[in-house]
Amino acid sequence: MFTHFEIHQFPLWDRLREKRIPLSFDLELTARCNFNCRHCYINLPADDVQAKDRELTLEEIRHIARKAVQMGAVWCLITGGEPLLRKDFPDIYLLLKRLGLLVSVFTNASLVTSEHARLFKKYPPRDIEVTVYGASKETFEQVTRRSHSFEAFLRGLQLLLNSGIRVRLKNMVIRSNRHEFDEISSFCLKHTKDYYRSDPFLCLRNDRDPARNAEIRAERLTPMEIIAIGRSERRSVAGQPAAGALLFPEQRDAPDNALFRCGAGQDSFTVGYDGRLRLCSALCRPDCVYDLRRGDLSDAWQDFVPAVRERCSTRTEYRHACGRCELARINLCRWCPANSYLETGEMDRPVDYFCQIAHAEAASLGIRHSRSDRHQP
Amino acid sequence: MDAQVSLDAVCTPSEDVVVREIEGNVIIIPVAAGIVEVEGELFTLNPTGHAIWRKLDGQRTLKEVASALSRDYDAPSSDIEVDVVAFADALRQRRLVVLHEHRASVGSRCTTFAR
Repeated sequence: MFTHFEIHQFPLWDRLREKRIPLSFDLELTARCNFNCRHCYINLPADDVQAKDRELTLEEIRHIARKAVQMGAVWCLITGGEPLLRKDFPDIYLLLKRLGLLVSVFTNASLVTSEHARLFKKYPPRDIEVTVYGASKETFEQVTRRSHSFEAFLRGLQLLLNSGIRVRLKNMVIRSNRHEFDEISSFCLKHTKDYYRSDPFLCLRNDRDPARNAEIRAERLTPMEIIAIGRSERRSVAGQPAAGALLFPEQRDAPDNALFRCGAGQDSFTVGYDGRLRLCSALCRPDCVYDLRRGDLSDAWQDFVPAVRERCSTRTEYRHACGRCELARINLCRWCPANSYLETGEMDRPVDYFCQIAHAEAASLGIRHSRSDRHQP
Repeated sequence: MDAQVSLDAVCTPSEDVVVREIEGNVIIIPVAAGIVEVEGELFTLNPTGHAIWRKLDGQRTLKEVASALSRDYDAPSSDIEVDVVAFADALRQRRLVVLHEHRASVGSRCTTFAR
C-alpha cells in the first residue's frame, strides 16, 4: 500500500514539468564569504555591512519558501556566498526541511562546527557539496586568498566525514590550481561520497565588477586545456557519450531570434540574497530580475518569468551566429543569454571564448555540424 | 520483538516526516535521519494506502478508520480492519507514523510501539 522510491524515479515529474511547476529553486543566503576566491562570480567580504543588511530575513525566507512549496517546489539548494556565515543557518535549514523540501547545501566547509555536523547528522541534507580549491596549503590559499583557509577547510570537511555525513566534492579547475589537477582529483576521489565533478567553466561576476572580471578571465583555462580535462575524466561535457544530443529537444525548431533555449525559469528559479528572483543564478540583467520584497512569487512565476523568456533578439549578428548555430542548441556550448549579458552587457551577442570551446569540443568529438555565418572561413 | 498493533490505537504522522500532496499524489518525505537508507528516497501511497491515510487524522482509532472506510466503500468492516492494521504496522515500522494507545494519549509518543 506504500512504496519507497528514489526521487528521480517518480513518474510524476514529467507531468509536473509539462505544467511548468517550479520544482526546484536555489536560495542564496548571502553573497558574503570568508574566502576571496579569484574566480568567484558573487563573493563579497564577510564583513560587508551593506550586503548583510540586504539579506533576506528568516521570516522573509519562510514566506518565499512556503509559497514555493505551495506552488509545487520539491528541491531547494542553499548556496551563497558562504551560507554558514549566517548565524541563523540552522533555523533556515530546518525551516526548509520541515516544509518538505529536499535540501542541498553548497559550502566551503571552513565554518562547519560540531553543531552544524550534529544538525546534518540528525536532519540529513540531500547533498552537501564542497569545492576543493587545492590539494596543498599553498595552492588552496593562492585561490582563496585567505591564510589558514586550507586548515579550516580540512577541519570542517573532517568534522563532517567523522560525523558520518557524506559529502560530494568538486574540483574547480582554474589557472591558479591547474598544476595540482591530479592531486585535487585524487583527493576528491578519496573523500567524495559517490562521484566528483571537475568544473573548468568560469562565469563572470554577477555585479559585473570590471576589476574582478579581469581576475576571472585571467584564471580561465584555454579551450584545449578544458577539452583535455574532459578527455582525462570522461565526466565533463566532452567525455559524456551523450555529447551532441539535444539538451532541450523542443528547442530544435526555435526561431533564430529566440534567446532562451535553456531550462531557466521553466521548472526552476534562483532567489538572490536580497530577495530578487532570477530565472537562473547567472541571469542578472536588471530588467530580468523580480524583487520578491515588492511582489509575490506566484506573480513572478506566472507573469514575469514567461515574459522574460519570450524576449527575442533583433540583432542580425545574433541571428546569423548563435541563433543558427547547432552547437548553441546542444550541450556543447556554454553560451546563453545570461552569460552573454555578463560577458558583453547584452543578452544577444556571441562570446568568442564559448565559441572557441564549443567548436574545439565538437572537433574533438568528431561532431559534424553546419557552421553559422560567424564561423564560415 | 514488536508489539501487535491494536485496533484501539490512534495513528498520526511522525514528526520525522512531512506529508505532501502533489497533483493528487501523497508523498511522504523523511526529514530526520534513519528512515531511509539513501537521502532522496521518498514514500508514495497506492490508492488503497491513500484512502486509509486520509482517515489517519490523529483522532480516530484504527477501528473507527476501518469503520469509516467500510461505509465509504461498502465493504465488510472486518476485512478492512485487517488492511488498516497491516498498513499502520508497516508505516510504524518505517517510522512514518506514531501510534498512540487511544485518543486520550494523542500528543505523547506511546513507548509500547517504539521500534
